[in-house]
Parts: sequence; structure tokens; C-alpha cells
Amino acid sequence: MLRKSSVAVAKNRLRILVTSDRVECSPGDYDNICRELYSSLSKYMELTEENFKVDICRTHILITFAGDET
Amino acid sequence: MGEVIVVTSGKGGVGKTTTTANIGAGLSMLDKKVIVIDTDLGLRNLDVVMGLENQIVYNLVDVVEGTCRLKQALIRDKRYESLYLLPSAQTRDKTAISPGQMKKLTSELKEEFDYILLDCPAGIEQGFQNAIAGADRAIIVTTPEVSAIRDADRIIGLLESSRIKDNALIINRIRMDMVKKGDMMSVDDVTEILSIPLIGAIPDDEFVVIGTNQGEPVIGMDSLAGKIYLNICKRIMGMEVPFEDLNSGRGFLARLTDIFHKN
Repeated sequence: MLRKSSVAVAKNRLRILVTSDRVECSPGDYDNICRELYSSLSKYMELTEENFKVDICRTHILITFAGDET
Repeated sequence: MGEVIVVTSGKGGVGKTTTTANIGAGLSMLDKKVIVIDTDLGLRNLDVVMGLENQIVYNLVDVVEGTCRLKQALIRDKRYESLYLLPSAQTRDKTAISPGQMKKLTSELKEEFDYILLDCPAGIEQGFQNAIAGADRAIIVTTPEVSAIRDADRIIGLLESSRIKDNALIINRIRMDMVKKGDMMSVDDVTEILSIPLIGAIPDDEFVVIGTNQGEPVIGMDSLAGKIYLNICKRIMGMEVPFEDLNSGRGFLARLTDIFHKN
């Protein structure tokens, strides 16, 4: 069976849903937030798309930078 | 001084009422004085799950409106040392009581009971607001499904903004055979997304269905779900109990077929 595990699909959908619920914005807005944070922070530090991650939690926004396991 | 715990989920049908009934029974088995309150006005269910539906005389709305005294409305579950039910009103709606009235009632009950468990209705409207008004802490019940987890996240956010920060998670109806095949989110998957402490993970156990059919809590039965409910009660009381192995409850044959499925 080479079928993609449905859990991976569920987790991905859930992550998008939960994030847009938390900041009360659309999934597209979330992408924009990430992009703008990326472009402003990259003026001051060496960022690549691989080592930069934005997590929107219920009470805070978590920005992970550099080599951290995502 | 007792503690008020609301059992909530956002989404309906994930097992709030069954959880409330079992935790209520379990805490009283552990020598606590417990009252369970059905706050779902208009859709009374907790009495049925507990098998006490024939003993109702007065209900929550009668108590709040002063039609009867609290003692008259309480139904004692004779199978336990000190477990009481305050049933909901079947012919009234959510607006019959207010959050202020619930807060007053629960603070009075704290004087007399160790634990006050509130079975919360589904949704985030007034019924939810009533149920959380007097709560000190919350148990969030979810199942490993996208819609249930999404609702749980919303509920936790609403609880946190209502100053209820002591939240614990129960993941219900886990099917280990599906988890192994990658077709059901695991306990870790769910806790990672919701990021609140886990207090119990309950397998999809047929004893739970049998229990609700008969109006008996599964906690008294010799089943994995029953054992896990009892451990959840101990954790609620602050004891440290290691988490159970969900595979151990399944028969030898089921586990053997798992091995074949893997290959």
C-alpha cells in the first residue's frame, strides 16, 4: 500500500484551521504574516526558508529560527 | 472547600456526558463527596447515562428559581457512597438560568461537596457560558478527528480568556489499530496541536457502549476504559499515575492481526 497516510492530511488541515481560528484571519493572511515577518527579520539576521518558522499559539506567537527541528 | 470542574468539548457527541458520569462515579469510589450537574437545558441526558432517569422529581431550573430546595432536587446514586445528580430541565431552554445564578449555586455547593462536576452542553452559546461561570478548572474532551480537535482549540481559547487556565485534555475513542496504520491521529499528534496537559486517553471500548445501554458506568467494569477512567480520577485528585498502554486491553487475536497488518 503506497497510499499517503490520512493522518498526515488531517494534521496539515488541522494546523491551517487552528491557526486561522487563533488569529481570526484567513489562511492567506497567515501566509502574509509569515512572509512579512520573514522579510523584516531577514534585514537583521541570516534567514533561509528552511530555518525560519512562525507558530501561532493560542496566547502568543512563536518564531523559531536556525536549525531547530520543525 | 470543593472544586468545580466543567467537562466541555465544543463539538457534540464526543463523550462529555459519558465522561462526566464515569468521573463522577470514580471520584466517589475514591471516597470523595461528588455532585454531577447536567447543565444541558432542554436536552437532558446525564440522568439516562447514569441510569437514574426514573427518579427525577425536581431539576436544576427548579433549584435556581426557588421552586424547591436543593436537597429535594438531588438524586442520590445508591450504588455509590456519596454520588449525587442534579438533573437538567427537559422542557426549558438555555435562557432559563444565567451565568450569575450558576456561579451562586456552585459556590454554595463547594461548601458541601469535594467535587462539583458540570456536564456542559455542546456549542459556545449561553449554555456554555452558564456551565463555565463558576468553574475552577476544565476537562476538555475530544476525539482524534479534525472537527473535534478544531472545536476543542476554540473552547480552550475561550476558557483561557474567561480566566480558566487549569485545563486538562481527555482524548476519547482512540482506535489503536487505525493509529498503527496511520489512519487515526495518535495521542501525541493531538496533544501537540492542542498543547494542554493530557489527563487521559480512552480507547474505543465496547464496554462503554454496553455501560450506556444499561445505565451503568464503565468504571466499575473489568475493562481497559474502566481502568483508565479510574486513573483519570486519581490524576484529578493530584496523584501521579503513569499513562496506560492502550494496546494491552485488546485481545491476543487482535494484536496478532496487527502484526500481520504491519507487514
